[in-house]
Amino acid sequence: MLQRMELSGGKVVPDGDNGNIYVYVNPDEAERKYLVGTLKLDEHTLASALDPDELARLEFEPDHTAVIFKRPRNYSSDDMFVFRVVSVGLFLFADRLIVVLSEDIPLFQGKQFTRITTLQEVALKIIYSSISHFVEHLRVVSAVSDALEEQINSSMENKYLLSLFSLEKSLVYYLNGINSNGKLIERLKNSAAKLKLTTGSIEFVDDMIIENQQCYEQAATYSNILASMMDARVSIVSNNLNWLIKTLTIITIAIMLPTLVVSIFSMNVEFPGKNHPWAFWLIIAIALSSTFVVRLVWRWKRW
Amino acid sequence: MEKMVNHSATRKVTVLNPAGLHARPSLTVAQTVRRSNSKVEIRTPEQTVDAADILQLLSLGVTQGTELDLSATGPDAEEVLDALAAQFADRFGLFGGPVG
Repeated sequence: MLQRMELSGGKVVPDGDNGNIYVYVNPDEAERKYLVGTLKLDEHTLASALDPDELARLEFEPDHTAVIFKRPRNYSSDDMFVFRVVSVGLFLFADRLIVVLSEDIPLFQGKQFTRITTLQEVALKIIYSSISHFVEHLRVVSAVSDALEEQINSSMENKYLLSLFSLEKSLVYYLNGINSNGKLIERLKNSAAKLKLTTGSIEFVDDMIIENQQCYEQAATYSNILASMMDARVSIVSNNLNWLIKTLTIITIAIMLPTLVVSIFSMNVEFPGKNHPWAFWLIIAIALSSTFVVRLVWRWKRW
Repeated sequence: MEKMVNHSATRKVTVLNPAGLHARPSLTVAQTVRRSNSKVEIRTPEQTVDAADILQLLSLGVTQGTELDLSATGPDAEEVLDALAAQFADRFGLFGGPVG
């Protein structure tokens, strides 16, 4: 699917026919042929833009610059608390910018997409928006982690633990993605002259480096907290299960002893006092006392 | 001490975001409800979830165009549903404002 946009009044606005910013969302076969055949994009680089496992990188071609960077994938309920990353490709020509991505995400929103004058700035701000996207997703990961902890405190099942493992895995994906973006942004700064970046754009790249580093540190902190507390959480679930088993054991013993007493007196043999008028009540009293004795021993031993 | 009066309110909203009620909108909804003093439920044709619980919201799997019934009970039921309806209409601020 192709959306054409253009720079107008410092903003990126939709323009059906004349826009020089081409956004290809999950391009079909015909669109890929056009990109490779007519616009001379490298086939491998184009495939990288749609491959979630590809690393962020910068490549200089004769008539354009290719930038592959990472951003969080939109979460769907089928993901089961695994937050993944996707790749996005930017192909910067002298007169146009081609954006290739695998899913429809809001690319040109937010206050950073104001007062833009060049295609280079558009490309930089798209990369910057991925840093914000990562930061917002880290907040979601933190909120999900808190909610899972609440559930684990009273849980005896594995499903919340497994969800925490999924979150841990997500943070590894995010750390890799953010780290990879960091290397790319460094390369953008080093190639400022080749990319014809203005002084303002170079300052913006410096800000991006700092924000990306903060984002990386935040993800690393969440990842460390999750990893270090995982054993404790496993113990909590195990302990909750032990408490359940203990309660069931008390109930079992409390029922077992009176049953034993009654069973002994139910044997089909002669025993003293069998014909006593209070024999039945005496046996019931012994049976109930046995439960009371169990309770006393239990408290004395502090089980 | 002033006694809190419980009110009930309902609203119908439509999910306008292309990716449906995904991670960031779910967090916004859960945070808005947690800040209020009301209990809010979100009802789809298939299930009903507690809007303060992000785990339930993320498992809802609501896609673009789905109509949701919001119901709230509490002293600020009207206010919290107004805030939520505004967020749904604004597409949670992710697309630069309301549609149309």
